Amino acid sequence: MKGITKSLLSALLGTSLLVGCSSGASTSSGTAETPETNTAAPAESAGEFTAKIGGVFILSGSSAAYGEAQKKGLDLALEELNEANKGKLKIEIQYEDTGGKKESAINAVNKLINQDNVVAIIGPTLSGEMLAAGPVANEAETPIFGISNTVEGINDIGEYVFRNSLPESIAVPTAMKKAIEKAGSKTAAFIYAENDDFSVSGFQTMKATAEEMGLQNLGETTFSIGDVDFSAQLTKIKQLNPDVLLVSALYKEGSMVVKKARELGINSLIVGGNGFNNPKVFEIAGSAAEGLIVATPFSPEKQDERVQKFVKAFEAKYGTKPDQFAAQAYDSLYIMSQSLLAAGKADRNALRDELAKLKDFEGVSGKLSFDEGRNPIGEAVVVEAKDGKFVPFE
Amino acid sequence: MFLQQLVNGLTVGSTYSLIAIGYTLIFGVLGIINMAHGQVFIFGSFVGLILVTNFDMPIAVAFLASIVVSGILGLILEFTAMRPLRKKNVPHLASLISTIGFATLLEEGMHKLFGADSRAVPDTFGSQAFQLGSVQIRAVDLIILGIAVVLMVVLHFWINKTKVGKAIRATAENTETASVLGINTNMVIVTTVVLASSLGGIAGMLIGMTYSALIPSMGMTLGFKGLAVLILGGVGSIPGAMICGLILGVIEVFTVAYGASSYRDAVAFGLIILILLIRPQGLFGRKA
Amino acid sequence: MEWLNPYNIQVVTFIILNCILAISIFITLATGQLSLGHAGFMSIGAYTTSILSKNADLPMFVAILAGALMAGLIALLIGAPTLKLHGLYLAIATLGFGEVVRVILLNMEITNGALGITGLKSLGTYIYDGMKAVGITSQSLGLSVPVIKSLSTLVFLFLLFLVVLFLTLRLNSSRLGRAFEAIRADETAARAMGIQVNYYKMLAFIIGSVLAGLCGGLFAHITTAITPTDFNYHKVVEILSFAVIGGTEVVWGALFGAIALTALPEVLRGLAEYKMIFYGAIMVLVMAVRPRGLIGSDTLQKLFRRGSKKQNEQPKGVE
Repeated sequence: MKGITKSLLSALLGTSLLVGCSSGASTSSGTAETPETNTAAPAESAGEFTAKIGGVFILSGSSAAYGEAQKKGLDLALEELNEANKGKLKIEIQYEDTGGKKESAINAVNKLINQDNVVAIIGPTLSGEMLAAGPVANEAETPIFGISNTVEGINDIGEYVFRNSLPESIAVPTAMKKAIEKAGSKTAAFIYAENDDFSVSGFQTMKATAEEMGLQNLGETTFSIGDVDFSAQLTKIKQLNPDVLLVSALYKEGSMVVKKARELGINSLIVGGNGFNNPKVFEIAGSAAEGLIVATPFSPEKQDERVQKFVKAFEAKYGTKPDQFAAQAYDSLYIMSQSLLAAGKADRNALRDELAKLKDFEGVSGKLSFDEGRNPIGEAVVVEAKDGKFVPFE
Repeated sequence: MFLQQLVNGLTVGSTYSLIAIGYTLIFGVLGIINMAHGQVFIFGSFVGLILVTNFDMPIAVAFLASIVVSGILGLILEFTAMRPLRKKNVPHLASLISTIGFATLLEEGMHKLFGADSRAVPDTFGSQAFQLGSVQIRAVDLIILGIAVVLMVVLHFWINKTKVGKAIRATAENTETASVLGINTNMVIVTTVVLASSLGGIAGMLIGMTYSALIPSMGMTLGFKGLAVLILGGVGSIPGAMICGLILGVIEVFTVAYGASSYRDAVAFGLIILILLIRPQGLFGRKA
Repeated sequence: MEWLNPYNIQVVTFIILNCILAISIFITLATGQLSLGHAGFMSIGAYTTSILSKNADLPMFVAILAGALMAGLIALLIGAPTLKLHGLYLAIATLGFGEVVRVILLNMEITNGALGITGLKSLGTYIYDGMKAVGITSQSLGLSVPVIKSLSTLVFLFLLFLVVLFLTLRLNSSRLGRAFEAIRADETAARAMGIQVNYYKMLAFIIGSVLAGLCGGLFAHITTAITPTDFNYHKVVEILSFAVIGGTEVVWGALFGAIALTALPEVLRGLAEYKMIFYGAIMVLVMAVRPRGLIGSDTLQKLFRRGSKKQNEQPKGVE
């Protein structure tokens, strides 16, 4: 027993001394690289340059589902782009996991910038992580690109901070106006996740828009991420009997809310934020999802060549349909590629300047441009759940 | 609405009761809180669920699988995280950390094996809803309530009237003395842990049916509720676990219905603090 | 100088912060009290500091101090009723306290709920601004601005840590420390010997909480954005594991735990997806093999005895 203890002790002591020397241990996991990368003189053809991009996502822990979807979208784009850009640009992605912890996000961003010398970073998954890690990247003059941060004020962090995820303040009012005007609703009730910054800011937008539209606010009720029982909240809402129920949540909880609502006999129109944009909603909510209205930049049913090509390729590679997270990740790499090619070299400042100029980029999540504040300007599509799919709302 | 909310509360509460029974069995015999209980039975339930969704097995097989897998995990837990700590002079915290470590392992293991996403539980006989006056209730809700009551009665009888039960009670009271008296305490402990875990396996499947989905994170969130009920009801008291589970469920639901829904999470822990300050042995426990 | 990059510096900064946290839980443990509320006190410190420095525009160090004191104040309030709880019951009650604090923070207007408080000035920026005011700039030091900021944060934190460590060691060898040890060994006996048990327990509880609150304020100004989730159950387990895995008997144990466990996720980045599985397995393994933590009072004795043994053996070979 003593011998084991001693060796355990020395092992752990030795391990903690390896802090600064860990670069050798971390490899870029899950990239579609060819064997000859990471060598001093890669076999490039004349004029091809390599760009290393960092990907910071939640790949472990209870929110890993979101980060993994993002990784899948990126990996698919990586494959396609390296093929399409052969001879001009080779992209490598180095993934780092944050586990949802702020310190890990900061460490991951620091490592990618200072140790792995990436030219830009895509991610992190959570708005909260971006608010902590974004300033770090900005100070280090490295572009950081959020693909799922929808909270207000992300771009204000600094000149190097970008995002293609439309803030809820754009997507939600579109859906609400379209759907509610058509349905002629007069009264509204709200339910949202109160311990998630995405859901809370979505709710704030919903409430403000409802006020603007002259809807009568019958009541608000909340739940927490990880909750599974919504009977109490929904029974209360059933009593209020609103014309429209506004739900601001991510799909894991959102789909269960919708299912329970219909189970309890709530017949109101249900409008959700783009946290609902995930095929899993149909798996969990089943037929209860019928008629759900969501505003989202991405719809897998959009009859657009690009979108359909993406959906088919995604399904072929992973066996499931892509969701919002995967789509925006996919687009982000295409945006990076486009900007890198325009810049002509893997240089952080040159890339930043090209990114800032983005205009009318055609992605699977719609057309995208950045304004002077680097805020994303895009179109949200209003979709309705019909027969197990999200189809464009008429 | 009051009646419906009451029913909601009892429904939620009975899931808590089922979970708490597992905690109280283990605390009663080992004097430790098994922080991995939630993850153990959710893991087992996932296995059961996958048999239904991916292998088209009938739900009865799923239940069986959940029971067996949870039981096996409980066995592993006992041998790796609990037995080594039953030597002299081991601080309380050690078992807390050890079971927390096991829980972390299991939860991440679930992510790797089943994905971190929620998984739908197909509608079964349980989803049938009945309308009793102004109240809507589903078959699965009644089943859970029923099973919780039955379990309480059966376990109570078993522990108080059978020979094995007597051995368990003896071990719970004083492990050393029981051992000296010839009781195979290790066997008793293994039995209790496996039993608690297997019962959890049933609870997990029923919970999946109630909420139509299973999510790996349920292990932690529901585990906490079970912990709260354990303290509320009094450690080692099965009727305590049963009744206080219902009480917690009702109070939580009423907090949402008539008060601030955003304080729901604080209810369980707030009650714990209150009980520990006023009556630390719990509502049904005996003074140490 | 390649190793002097913000990544390495930042990791070491977090390690030092966790060392102070480890001391905070060690002090409460020294009296035998298992308090799982340190994350709660950390959050009180963090939010108090942030609100004061952002909304009231107080100088950063004043705000951080205020955060620590606020944590101590709350500890004073809740410490009294919890004195009569022991062992696992105290643990659960303090865990509950932390959770209740988290929910309250989520619901208060001034804390901005789930969105948290963001855009805080970082410690590094504050120190660098001060440096610029006295004429020291990045050019004069030959280092880039991010390196200066992170390095100055590190140095500041390290000095703070040394102060805390020094005070802790003094405390351990003083009458206070002996009283703590007596209470930890056997509370009833200590009481019988005339030691004012309640007073010392409260003291330890408050000191531990003040340190946790201090760490909260520092955390807020290092990460520049805080939300209630930063101080949830996972944080509690993290802090607890420093002491329990590192060693609960001597402060070096808790420090070792902080260093090893903070460095571990960085070292394990290569294992990325399996990191948590590894982490959980380590916890189970260490508890099974050495439940009092890896470094105990006997480890230090052995290390020092080995040293003196070698000295005695030297003369033999010289002949």
